Amino acid sequence: MAEPDRTSLPLQPAPFTGTANRTLQGSEPDWELIHHPRPPEGAPNVLLVLIDDAGFGNPSTFGGPIQTPNYTQMAEAGLRYNRFHVTALCSPTRAALLTGRNNHAVGFGSVGEFSSGFPGYTAMVPPECAPLPRILRDNGYATAAFGKWHLTPDGDQGPAGPLARWPNGWGFDYFYGFLGGDSGQWDPLLAENQKIIGTPADYGDEDDPYYLPDAMADKTIEWLHGVRAQEADKPFFAYFSTGCSHAPHHVASEWADRYKGAFDGGWDRLREQVFERQKALGVVPEEAELTARDDAFPAWDSLSPRLQAFYARQMEVYAGYSENADHNVGRVIDAIEELGEIDNTIVIWIWGDNGASLEGTVTGSFNEMTMQNGVPLTDEMQLQLAERYGGAESWGMPIMDPHYSAAWAWAGNTPFKWGKQVGSHLGGTRNPMVIHWPEGIGDPGGLRSQFLHVTDVGPTILDITRIPAPSRVDGVPQEPLHGFTFADTLTDQDAPERHTQQYFETIGNRAMYRDGWWLAMRTPRIPWVLTPEALKPYAPGVWDPDADPAELYYLPDDFTQAHDLAAEHPEKVTELKKLFWEEAEKYQVLPLLATLSAFFGMTPPLDHRDRMEFRGDVQNVAPGMIPRIYNRSYAISADLVVPDGGAEGVIVAEADHLGGFSLFVDAGRLTHTYSMMGVFVYRQMADVPLPTGEVSVRMEFAADAAKPATGGDVTLFVNDEKVGGGRMDHSVPMRFSAYSGMDIGRDNGGVVDLSYADRRPFAFTGTIRKVVFDLHPHASDEDEQAVHTVAHHANAAHGLSA
Amino acid sequence: MNLTTPGRTMLSLPAQGLRVLSLPFDHETTEVLIGSYLSTEAAHEDYRSALDAGVYLHGAIVVGKDLSGEVSVDLSDHMVKEAAQGLGTLGFLSGLLFLPLLPVATGVGATMGGVVGEVMHVLAGSKVKGQAASAIPLGCAALILAYPPDSADGVDAAVRRAISKVTAEAEGHHVQALRNALAEAQLELSTASA
Repeated sequence: MAEPDRTSLPLQPAPFTGTANRTLQGSEPDWELIHHPRPPEGAPNVLLVLIDDAGFGNPSTFGGPIQTPNYTQMAEAGLRYNRFHVTALCSPTRAALLTGRNNHAVGFGSVGEFSSGFPGYTAMVPPECAPLPRILRDNGYATAAFGKWHLTPDGDQGPAGPLARWPNGWGFDYFYGFLGGDSGQWDPLLAENQKIIGTPADYGDEDDPYYLPDAMADKTIEWLHGVRAQEADKPFFAYFSTGCSHAPHHVASEWADRYKGAFDGGWDRLREQVFERQKALGVVPEEAELTARDDAFPAWDSLSPRLQAFYARQMEVYAGYSENADHNVGRVIDAIEELGEIDNTIVIWIWGDNGASLEGTVTGSFNEMTMQNGVPLTDEMQLQLAERYGGAESWGMPIMDPHYSAAWAWAGNTPFKWGKQVGSHLGGTRNPMVIHWPEGIGDPGGLRSQFLHVTDVGPTILDITRIPAPSRVDGVPQEPLHGFTFADTLTDQDAPERHTQQYFETIGNRAMYRDGWWLAMRTPRIPWVLTPEALKPYAPGVWDPDADPAELYYLPDDFTQAHDLAAEHPEKVTELKKLFWEEAEKYQVLPLLATLSAFFGMTPPLDHRDRMEFRGDVQNVAPGMIPRIYNRSYAISADLVVPDGGAEGVIVAEADHLGGFSLFVDAGRLTHTYSMMGVFVYRQMADVPLPTGEVSVRMEFAADAAKPATGGDVTLFVNDEKVGGGRMDHSVPMRFSAYSGMDIGRDNGGVVDLSYADRRPFAFTGTIRKVVFDLHPHASDEDEQAVHTVAHHANAAHGLSA
Repeated sequence: MNLTTPGRTMLSLPAQGLRVLSLPFDHETTEVLIGSYLSTEAAHEDYRSALDAGVYLHGAIVVGKDLSGEVSVDLSDHMVKEAAQGLGTLGFLSGLLFLPLLPVATGVGATMGGVVGEVMHVLAGSKVKGQAASAIPLGCAALILAYPPDSADGVDAAVRRAISKVTAEAEGHHVQALRNALAEAQLELSTASA
């Protein structure tokens, strides 16, 4: 068979070379017509593993405290890469990884939740940038993705799509995971292919509870077995993208308890220990210096014993959670080995997409969403809220959605400064990578130190598989790949460094790398602080990016960015600043701070829909797609049929006890429960029983004012008669949940009101004809615009944390 | 009911901690402290801390409501014995101050809670429980301590975990005086957190 022209996708079948006469008489088939695309001969399988929100100093493979025996095994039989770089934020790194192009150039200057009207921030990959899975699939690979996706805009995560922005649309034959930026590991809102399938039925099973990391490995192995049952030789491309180690840090105590006491010495000491091990392993050069602690992080020794114990447990859970991820990746690798294909499978395993996450703030949080919702809780409040939900032993269990202290993240990024969101420094941009490929690696156990960027992974996979980057896909001319192959580093330790120049930009933090020099320009804002005061310096007309402090490092001599050379080399600073602006324009980085544009008055047109109807069988509405009831008056009404014996159960529920609402009937009474991030929980109950027959019920929330987290009064009605009510002093300003969905007629997954947790999902036993949300307009256009603006602050805030 | 934790008996309490005396409410000043908490455990801990410090208390109540709405009330033995004397007190104001992390002109919020509990001179646990059902937010707790003025410094030092705490003084007839004192404390709490 002739080699097809792979530069244009889909591959075009060769012309019919047989004969088709009027009858079979003399006709000759051309069997090539019915072959599906085949990859080049010998193309290997590819397993691409991406761990979430983890740092250079986390895995033991790179000197960290978290035991990662499978990662180490891969490294010892493969290669460690210690100068591999990412983008400092989730979706941007994923977009770059799966397209081989700079993240802004493919619309992902920010995260999937944030779509803006600037080309670099649409969260929509342009057709000129066909992704890697699409290229591999069209060239004959079986493709599948498991776990975290985070590349589908919030508003597209329903059955109406557009589904081209879901994983299948990116070229994956099969997808099992979650579309958003983070997910509960016990109670995820799952998607399978092109449908949100909800929380698994065995969530909360006492004997054998569902756990996403286990299920991801199960599903991957099942998929591999299925592919091999059908096609013995078809190579696969499996993208295994863990929700771990992103918050919520969910793991069974048996994993967390392996680290009991391991972090009692605190983050300062931990950094020193990790740094020593990194040098001993050789992943950090002997002459490197450990960078200093920024004042944003408290000294461990300054903390009270109670806080130290609280924080130590946070890290124990994170460590156990991360070790579990290593375990489950190991299960997938074992399955490939059992198939006899490990030698011909290139495993590319990246430990972290943006450094470890600082978003827990200094205190950490029992509920990761408190930060996004602008709920500042003191360390004592956090302690008490953790106690409310079960204390230290429950940190990691379904009852909480925890995130650890930012100082642990900083320690996880040892030996570097800062972490996630800080694209100007290595703490947010340099992560470990291990490659294992027995058939393709010359010196197992070796170390590679070429400067690499996440955009290089796609070109390298294409190089290894001998599939060219297409020049046309679906007739659309393609943007060339921006990354460079590093395939020759697999066999040559001294292979030339091809990626000699790279810009970085994340929420205004930026860097310009060229030939070893790194210009760092960090906006002097603490990543987790979004107060008006913190943002004021960045307002249009106020901020001069070139006036930001500039730091200059020469990385070949300064692995950790410990020595700022800006004062000694002002000409280099000037040169790299100029180059950054050129690159920024070329790759759609501009305008800087587009991610925060909503904070400076740039919001999409007002959404004038004020009524949304849901029929009784609608379930698992993604959290970013629920009616926009935040910070305003609204009403939820439902038309019910209540049988003669009465009815009970949930009429409508959003999310869970850590943020959400539920309108339900219990003990014959209409009840409304509202959880303000699990900090405040309000409940109102009808004074009279629910009648039978055709019944209309309504909950009205009369907001005090058009302001975030507004308080207000709740009134319950049955057949238009007032039957109860109460006061809610605070409401959720931004978003109830990062991952939990809304259901009509039941409360799937974690429930909102724990009083019915033992009857979960507490399905309504009558009939729900429909549920209607009426959003009451505010008194003035200004107020309406104010609430609209806050909604987009929410998108940005969520984006910064996802 | 008592406030001891499992494995701990009243005998192990500091000698001064719960010494039962005749209540001198009619003759001297009594101070009242209300502490609000986000967990019942924290309220208990502050109470134990006061006992461990050897602070003299006339009596104490810890009242909490779990997330299912179940109310728990713990009165000191002392309180039970002195039931008729008027410290079956319940009132709860939570005073968390929400500062906006996001740049909005109106801020994220101000006072939470705002339920002014009614002072009762009913001391049966069940009645306190009934009041708490409407007065205590789900998941929250309160600690109420009554003590003589010379215990004030010790109480203040011991009650360290309260999210907010206020004190007031009662003089004169015990029931009305304590009722007024608690109302004053609650008002202060409300004002402070507004």
